[in-house]
Amino acid sequence: MNTVIDAHQVSKTFNPTTIPILAVNNVHLHLERGEFTALVGPSGSGKTTLLNLLGGLDKPDKGSIFINGVDITKLSPNALIDFRLNNIGFVFQSFNLIPVLTARENVELIMQLQHKDRREINERVETLFREIGLEDKLDTRPAQLSGGQQQRVAVARALASKPQFVLADEPTANLDSKSATNLLDIMAKLNQEENITFIFSTHDVRVIERARRVITLVDGQIHSDTAKVSTEVPHTAQKRTP
Amino acid sequence: MNLKLAWRNVWRNKTRSLIIMASVAIGLLAGIFVLGLYQGMMRSRVRTVIDTEVAHLQIHHKEFKEDYDPSYTLDQELISKNLKKISEIKSFANRSVTQGMLATTTGTSGVRIYGIQPKEEIEVSQLAFKIKEGEVLNPSKKNGILIGKKLADKMKLKLGSKLVLTFTDRESSVTSGAFRVNGIYQTINTPLDEVIVYINRSTLNEYLGLEDTSHEIAILLHRDEDLELVKNSLQAQFPRYSVMTWKENSPETDLMVGTINQYSTIIIIIIMIALAFGIINTMLMSVIERTREIGMLSALGMNRKKVFALILTETVILTFVGVPVGFILSWFSILYFSKAGIDISPFSEEAMSSFGFTSIIYPEFPVDTMGSVLIIVISTALISAFFPSLKAIRLQPADALRQ
Ligand SMILES: Nc1ncnc2c1ncn2[C@@H]1O[C@H](COP(=O)(O)OP(=O)(O)O)[C@@H](O)[C@H]1O
Ligand SMILES: [Mg+2]
Repeated sequence: MNTVIDAHQVSKTFNPTTIPILAVNNVHLHLERGEFTALVGPSGSGKTTLLNLLGGLDKPDKGSIFINGVDITKLSPNALIDFRLNNIGFVFQSFNLIPVLTARENVELIMQLQHKDRREINERVETLFREIGLEDKLDTRPAQLSGGQQQRVAVARALASKPQFVLADEPTANLDSKSATNLLDIMAKLNQEENITFIFSTHDVRVIERARRVITLVDGQIHSDTAKVSTEVPHTAQKRTP
Repeated sequence: MNLKLAWRNVWRNKTRSLIIMASVAIGLLAGIFVLGLYQGMMRSRVRTVIDTEVAHLQIHHKEFKEDYDPSYTLDQELISKNLKKISEIKSFANRSVTQGMLATTTGTSGVRIYGIQPKEEIEVSQLAFKIKEGEVLNPSKKNGILIGKKLADKMKLKLGSKLVLTFTDRESSVTSGAFRVNGIYQTINTPLDEVIVYINRSTLNEYLGLEDTSHEIAILLHRDEDLELVKNSLQAQFPRYSVMTWKENSPETDLMVGTINQYSTIIIIIIMIALAFGIINTMLMSVIERTREIGMLSALGMNRKKVFALILTETVILTFVGVPVGFILSWFSILYFSKAGIDISPFSEEAMSSFGFTSIIYPEFPVDTMGSVLIIVISTALISAFFPSLKAIRLQPADALRQ
């Protein structure tokens, strides 16, 4: 296994001059390729802030964040955008997709930004939509998709660039339990079969159960970090639920 | 992809986009129409000046215009012979000219007296068309005079009225003669109508103590374009005389033609500034509404150049859909009114005619200024696009995504 994320003494304070909020406080984090990690904690505990820092969407005040050996805190704004494009996949809580583009175009957009050629794009789109089970929704606009389907397309888009890892900030928060389970199934399958590294924040107990490692944040600090032994158990929901 | 995305984004808020496109089209229509109106006005003013007032070219003795001394005469025989050889010349008329005083029983008025040969004169200044009452001078009626309507009204003169002209002859002695109104003319240039009177040239020459000669030769050309060519050639042939174009003989007209283009540009710029505010406002709104989405594009790895280009493209599309519509509308409306004419006499007949303009304007499509209009429109679009695009690339993805 090799290291994907290596974060040292990462801190982030909002409003340093007025009412400072220490959103992430001295966090150390190490993530290996192939991990399926949940970031949990009460609302306001700093999950989103930490994920933004790991994804290069925000800069820490202190500490270093190495992604695949590159300290992203040292990258220029332009280099950071390019780095995100080629190394990190994102799934957000909601309104993930560009409404005026079809499902396919949303996924293609990323690869076009990477200047991939047409043939490669077409092949990848086909594969990804097969994996998320939406081959029949290729040319559908987001508004015509259910919330769960939209999140699945978002997962496909996150994977389109062949990133080092996928960051998902509460990807199931706006989904009913069936769609949430379905999305988790797809993510778990991609993790196990394609060795895709996922780190996702959540406070949904059923989602937490599916993770193989659970990191708990409290007041911006890592409170606990537990790896589950059930790693080798088959991934389908029915078998994992007692 | 960027173009497709931009195009679809423009149509997200159809009403808003259509309003901006319609404003661009209407703004352009208004701007071009005003240009067309100005150009039509100018063209007709220039035509009037050339065809009825000062002709294309005039030849005088070099000092004649300084004090209208009757002794500054022209060698009209030699000149006429040469003029007839120049194929660009359509017609010309010999005139003798002097300043004088017109007196009636009720009062006096300063006048410029033109001694003309009616046959020639009709060919050069369309005198026959200007006659409202009576008729053009008859060479056999030695004391006939043509006066302007404005002067007739002022001096209470009618057809057949008697009046006395007083002027200075070549010996500098004052002479006067009695005349009878033979005709009343009217042009659209009322200030001139009050000053210029016409009598037979032979009569005027007699009073001035001159032989069969003239002070002024007015020349009409077939084509306006030959103006400088013929002027230069004549000036070279007659270095002792001054050959002047209509631009020199009617400098106020030339000045008007020059300034009108500047006015037109200013009008277009004002319209465009108004449009620019509308476009900037719309696009800023559109960017702010999409803060989260634009932040997401940046999070996913769309670089700032591409985000800037996206918003720029959207703005340019928004502006440019209206442009061809505006052009077509203005072309058709100018085409229509260039035939029908626009009668503005209900508003300003007095004002127009005191500046020598007709009150019916036939607009012309301002072909010459279209280039600058297009440049101004393109700059407007780009300048208006700049601020919203800047706003878009200033969005921080982490902040934008929290919305
Ligand atoms: N842009 C910001 N400005 C000020 N405070 C912020 C900002 N973003 C987050 N915070 C604060 O930082 C803390 C952590 O927030 P967040 O990372 O969103 O927590 P979580 O995702 O776990 O709910 C909260 O107290 C929140 O109010
Ligand atoms: Mg959060």
